[in-house]
Amino acid sequence: MEFSFSPEEQKLLEEVRAFIKAETTDALLAESEELGHIYGGKEGRKFIKKFASHGWLTPNWPAEYGGLGTSATVAFAIREEMARAAVPLIFVAAHMAGPTIMHFGSQEMKDKWLLPIARGEVEFCLGYTEPQAGSDLAALRIRAVDKGDYFLLNGQKMFNTHAHVADYHWLGTITDPDAKKYRGMSLMIVDLKSPGIDIRPMVTMAGWQTNEVFYEDVKVPKENLVGELNAGFFYVMHALDYERMFPLAIYARLVDEVIEYARNTTVDGEPLARNPVVRQKLAQLKIEIAANRHLYYRLAHMLDHGQVPNYQASMQKLFATETVQHITNTAMEVLGMFGLLKKGSKWAVLAGNTERYYRTSVVETIYAGTSEIQRNIIALRGLELPRK
Amino acid sequence: MNYDLNEEQKMIKESAHRFLAEACSSDFVREMIEDEKGFTPEFWGKMAELGWMGLPFPEEVGGAGMTFLDLAILLTEMGYYCVPGPFFSTVVLGGLTVLEAGNDEQKSRILSEVAAGKRILTLAWLEEGGTWSPEGIRLRAESRDDQFLLSGTKLFVPDAHVADTIVVAARTGDAPDEISLFEVDANAPGVDITLLDTLAGDKLCEVVFNNVKIPGANLLGKEGGAWPVLNNTLLKAAVGKAAEMDGGSQKALEFAVGYTKERVQFDKLIGTYQAIQHHCANMLMYADTGHFLMAHAAWKIAEGLPFEEEASMCKAWVSEAHRKLVALAHQVLGGVGFMEEHDLQLYFRRAKTAEVAFGDATFHRERVAQAVGL
Ligand SMILES: Cc1cc2nc3c(=O)[nH]c(=O)nc-3n(C[C@H](O)[C@H](O)[C@H](O)COP(=O)(O)OP(=O)(O)OC[C@H]3O[C@@H](n4cnc5c(N)ncnc54)[C@H](O)[C@@H]3O)c2cc1C
Repeated sequence: MEFSFSPEEQKLLEEVRAFIKAETTDALLAESEELGHIYGGKEGRKFIKKFASHGWLTPNWPAEYGGLGTSATVAFAIREEMARAAVPLIFVAAHMAGPTIMHFGSQEMKDKWLLPIARGEVEFCLGYTEPQAGSDLAALRIRAVDKGDYFLLNGQKMFNTHAHVADYHWLGTITDPDAKKYRGMSLMIVDLKSPGIDIRPMVTMAGWQTNEVFYEDVKVPKENLVGELNAGFFYVMHALDYERMFPLAIYARLVDEVIEYARNTTVDGEPLARNPVVRQKLAQLKIEIAANRHLYYRLAHMLDHGQVPNYQASMQKLFATETVQHITNTAMEVLGMFGLLKKGSKWAVLAGNTERYYRTSVVETIYAGTSEIQRNIIALRGLELPRK
Repeated sequence: MNYDLNEEQKMIKESAHRFLAEACSSDFVREMIEDEKGFTPEFWGKMAELGWMGLPFPEEVGGAGMTFLDLAILLTEMGYYCVPGPFFSTVVLGGLTVLEAGNDEQKSRILSEVAAGKRILTLAWLEEGGTWSPEGIRLRAESRDDQFLLSGTKLFVPDAHVADTIVVAARTGDAPDEISLFEVDANAPGVDITLLDTLAGDKLCEVVFNNVKIPGANLLGKEGGAWPVLNNTLLKAAVGKAAEMDGGSQKALEFAVGYTKERVQFDKLIGTYQAIQHHCANMLMYADTGHFLMAHAAWKIAEGLPFEEEASMCKAWVSEAHRKLVALAHQVLGGVGFMEEHDLQLYFRRAKTAEVAFGDATFHRERVAQAVGL
């Protein structure tokens, strides 16, 4: 066992940190916040393209596809740095679509997409969820009909978050409606500027937007099919095992800010930091953050040792997101009335971040697989509890 | 970063698993709970033959020269099997204290006998008003000519009734942390030991010292300077306890998961019910997080790095996680788990015992608060 980074890894991380520090602008942070830290905005693209030119967006990809051939551990550590800096950190192309293309795409597809993805030149939008298909992804309805030299698509997606800022849709669509559950879905890449696509905002309680995406007679070239026809469900599950990972560093930073606040704030004649209850609560958060970090780096360790994370990825997602809600709620408690003040409000503390994170954190245990779904996976796949 | 055990550690784990499966059956554990001594010389002798007693001590004193992480792995297996007897008292509490505080002569004399399985140690530190603070240590050691006179009462001293040597923390001055450590012969005149009846049937004792005469040469370390050593040992012991709990968590999880695959209610295996599945998922989450926080702290100790923050994080988390895990196992097992006959109750008892030992979650969270600048 070894719980530290090697000197070379540390050096690389120093460089990443220095770059982020030097290149982060107020405009970038404002945009990142407004978009809920997804990639695709104007400032984000400017920053990430430069960042990616060092190979840091996809560090563990091979050099021929724009990576540095590093370990997954390094890739995870870089993501932690990005999260801590609150720059864009939710990437569909680099973190979800790209690895799937690498594993299952044809050579032509790899040649076409991987380098632009690694360079941050294109962003995708995750297109799985539909009104009737949330946790139950196999209930998709959006239909792709084979028309010989193209697919013709009709249907509706919902909660497709990057759609308004991304270039392409990473779309789960039904290609065989008569097949048994899980056997009739395919993945394809769709240009979001294609005629017949209508993107409509759905505004969240966090302030940022996700989208409905309507497809009406949209033509998609055959070459945009990912891997085999009707194998989409398998690819999606596979991608989740590889890509389900939550660096909660953005919230970890909030904890450090609240600790600082507690040290510098006097309530009823005593520094908050002396209040034993406050001390207990904040210490507990630090402990949970430390525990999560192990679950997070265990995933990297497994990838680096040729294993595919399975229930371990679910556990990390589950633990991280429940910790996130514990963090935001505790931060609100410690701040008391001041926690209610929004950014820009007179008397706001910690830049009004706590109020915003408190709202945002609600969705963490819901999207990318709810906590219930993660527990199902841990029990059924991890512990092999009986299905019937 | 690397989350795998190395070859040597895998070997420790496997050989301990194999040996204990045979030598430490549920019947044996239950007998030892009833037994006044709490262990048998045969069992003790076999563990010594395997080299366990000297595992973390340097080779010069007859030890195996292995690390604290290696020891933690062994303790995990011991926790899995509810190993009875004074191993923890001897090797972790007494042994590591002597190793840190003792001079060369004391170390080689005491630890070589420990390693050979010929000497049982324990550590006496808690008292009636005692918490984990030097102020809690009231028992006095008065310096007289070239000896010390010990008077006072120690509580919750594990395995004192079978120990050859009790390492005693005593007050040698009025400043709050003027604490010294002494090597005390458990059979010396004036030492009076009473076994206390406890939740888990582990052997905690009251030890009364009535003007016990201690040769000056039995002072371990500097007079009045023992607090940092004691504090260090207790933190290591906290991590060691967490390792035992790690093993206990594995066992409780096995009880629960195994049961979900055989118990039928409403014509279905109970494991098909989502409430049960989620209990099990939560158990695994407690087990994995606890394991990693424990291993990280043990690794820090093994590497000679500062370990205070990690050790307290570990004990704070594992103390609660393990108790909750065992409680969930009880829930999954239904009435069967409440029966004396089922071994889960052994783990329930030990979980609470380990939780309060060497500082509970609240205590260690306060230490974490200090470490993170609060
Ligand atoms: C802000 C936001 C952004 C999103 N971004 C994207 C995106 O970019 N792309 C995309 O494709 N999707 C996205 N999603 C969709 C997200 O993945 C789904 O919301 C999520 O999977 C849950 O589906 P649902 O909301 O339909 O809830 P439901 O599936 O209807 O769940 C409702 C409740 O039932 C429970 N439940 C459902 N099934 C089970 C079961 N088998 N066992 C136990 N409990 C169960 C759930 O846990 C939950 O508590 C986003 C969602 C939100 C809110």
